[in-house]
Amino acid sequence: MSGWKTINKDRTSHIAGKMSVGFIGAGQLAHALVKGFAAAGVIATQRIMASSPDTDLPTVAGLRRMGANLTTSNKEVVNNSDVLFLAVKPHIIPFVLDEIGPVIEDRHLIVSCAAGVTISSIEKKLLQYRPCPKVMRCMTNTPVVVREGATVYATGTHAQVEDGKLLEQLMASVGFCTEVEEDLIDAVTGLSGSGPAYAFTALDALADGGVKMGLPRRLAVRLGAQALLGAAKMLLDSELHPGQLKDNVCSPGGATIHALHVMESGGFRSLLINAVEASCIRTRELQFLADQEKISPAAIKKTTLDKVLQQPGVTQGSGVNGKPGLSLRRNAPGPAKKT
Amino acid sequence: MGSFPLHFKMSVGFIGAGQLAHALVKGFTAAGVIATKRITASSPDTDLPTVSGLRRMGVTLTTSNKEVVQNSDVLFLAVKPHIIPFVLDEIGPDIEDRHLIVSCAAGVTISSIEKKLLQYRQFPKVMRCMTNTPVVVREGATVYATGTHAELEDGRLLEQLMASVGYCTEVEEDLIDAVTGLSGSGPAYAFLAVESLADGGVKMGLPRRLAVRLGAQALLGAAKMLLESDQHPGQLKDNVCSPGGATIHALHVMESGGFRSLLINAVEASCIRTRELQFLADQEKISPAAIKKTTLDKVLQQPGVGTGVGVRTGSGISLFNNTRPRNTK
Repeated sequence: MSGWKTINKDRTSHIAGKMSVGFIGAGQLAHALVKGFAAAGVIATQRIMASSPDTDLPTVAGLRRMGANLTTSNKEVVNNSDVLFLAVKPHIIPFVLDEIGPVIEDRHLIVSCAAGVTISSIEKKLLQYRPCPKVMRCMTNTPVVVREGATVYATGTHAQVEDGKLLEQLMASVGFCTEVEEDLIDAVTGLSGSGPAYAFTALDALADGGVKMGLPRRLAVRLGAQALLGAAKMLLDSELHPGQLKDNVCSPGGATIHALHVMESGGFRSLLINAVEASCIRTRELQFLADQEKISPAAIKKTTLDKVLQQPGVTQGSGVNGKPGLSLRRNAPGPAKKT
Repeated sequence: MGSFPLHFKMSVGFIGAGQLAHALVKGFTAAGVIATKRITASSPDTDLPTVSGLRRMGVTLTTSNKEVVQNSDVLFLAVKPHIIPFVLDEIGPDIEDRHLIVSCAAGVTISSIEKKLLQYRQFPKVMRCMTNTPVVVREGATVYATGTHAELEDGRLLEQLMASVGYCTEVEEDLIDAVTGLSGSGPAYAFLAVESLADGGVKMGLPRRLAVRLGAQALLGAAKMLLESDQHPGQLKDNVCSPGGATIHALHVMESGGFRSLLINAVEASCIRTRELQFLADQEKISPAAIKKTTLDKVLQQPGVGTGVGVRTGSGISLFNNTRPRNTK
């Protein structure tokens, strides 16, 4: 693993230092990223702004405590940022793009973190407003909050090499970051996007095992997490195959090989392959549904919908298939068009 | 994990120069907690890759266990459990008041070690620890228990050494087998998991190197989140499962396959096997077939180790009466 280019995670960061960063959305992802960026010292929190319609979220309070600026206006975030993270749920993205499209400028780098939302779908929307929108897509994960995230990104049509370097510098301050072809991102979602959940489940179960054999719970949780962390670090620091590392800790007739046998007997490996596959497939499914471009009003809470409709430029109209829905393809007020 | 002025004056010895000794020395060196010239290790087999690794790090190597004892204050017993009785009989006469004996052998009880050493000294200072291989990257998990004649300061000393290479805490000795099942064997579970996750990534289109990297990074990050959080692992899991999203779909297939149960089984199996090995060792009969003839010859050449009849009927090496051969049926 030592062949990977390592970007310095220390506090000197010239490129990102003068930039302002905005987050559309102030939920788990925005909170985790801001916490990581702040710990890394890669950007001052006063240069960060985040928007959310719901000011009661615990993550909103957390962001405020960290010194980020909060607002209910997406447009205000756009106006105050250079790098703009779209950190909302995938089905909200089209709304957001129609709303902020008119206020995007040349300097803006739009970075979508939404699972399953393609660069081309974002560019398609923004091209209604600008000739050359700079779009990137990334898939990260929650351990950015402790600066051990796993992030991949893909670069859109009009984003430049420097834009990629900028994003990479930001994301490398909070963990591993590398560029990939866009068509790999769904698989990455299945692996490292969802990966922490697999680990939390495993850690809960390992602790249960320890408690069954007599350990107090806190100690069992601590030892289980430490064992996983240490093993992962060994693997990242080593050129050896995981199977070789496994062999090295299985002494003949010993306790560990006995344990491995029961795991293999239960199809342990297969369950993890299944998990990665299921998450990846579901991501592709969500992407397909989104591409159909019909958002049922039932998918969005009435209170949120009201707030969005109050923003200039968003109207209610017919869905693509002639059923009632929100039309997000044309945001200028006008007669609804049936297809 | 800063500097440790206490240890500059201590010498550390390892009986055994295999994976464990190598990993510990590598970690101690990286931590700067002790200079390698103050470390001695012994092994009958000078061809082991770990032996050359230790030599490269500046450790003094020898084939004589007694030499290690004479050159150390803290003495790690880093050999396989069934070798421990041999070693104790051999070094027993050379142990002095200053020595702190730390056994890392799975399933070997403090009382069995003290019983042997009491033949040579009144108050042997013995401790027992269970660690794991990630000490090599300074992220080990270590627990230790303190023997009858070891003092509080001895515990602190060991804790300071082991804390330089990861997490370290004292426990009651009767928990150590369970710790073996959990964090002793734990890294193997993790290596298996990363390989499988990578297979999943490759199945869905990722190149292998990237898949291994992302899988390991995801596990590392999650473990670190848990260690730094007060929240329950189940709460952390909830936080990353968005409604109808990809992750909860994945979790369902894992639960359907009994994923959690497999890990409980693993911890249990490792713990039970550890207890089994301890039981076999306590029976105090080592068949000569358990030790290679070449190794046995070398040991028998050392003064103080004799052949005799095993405690039960049947031939074997008697390790409990080494002053003179004795025939008992």
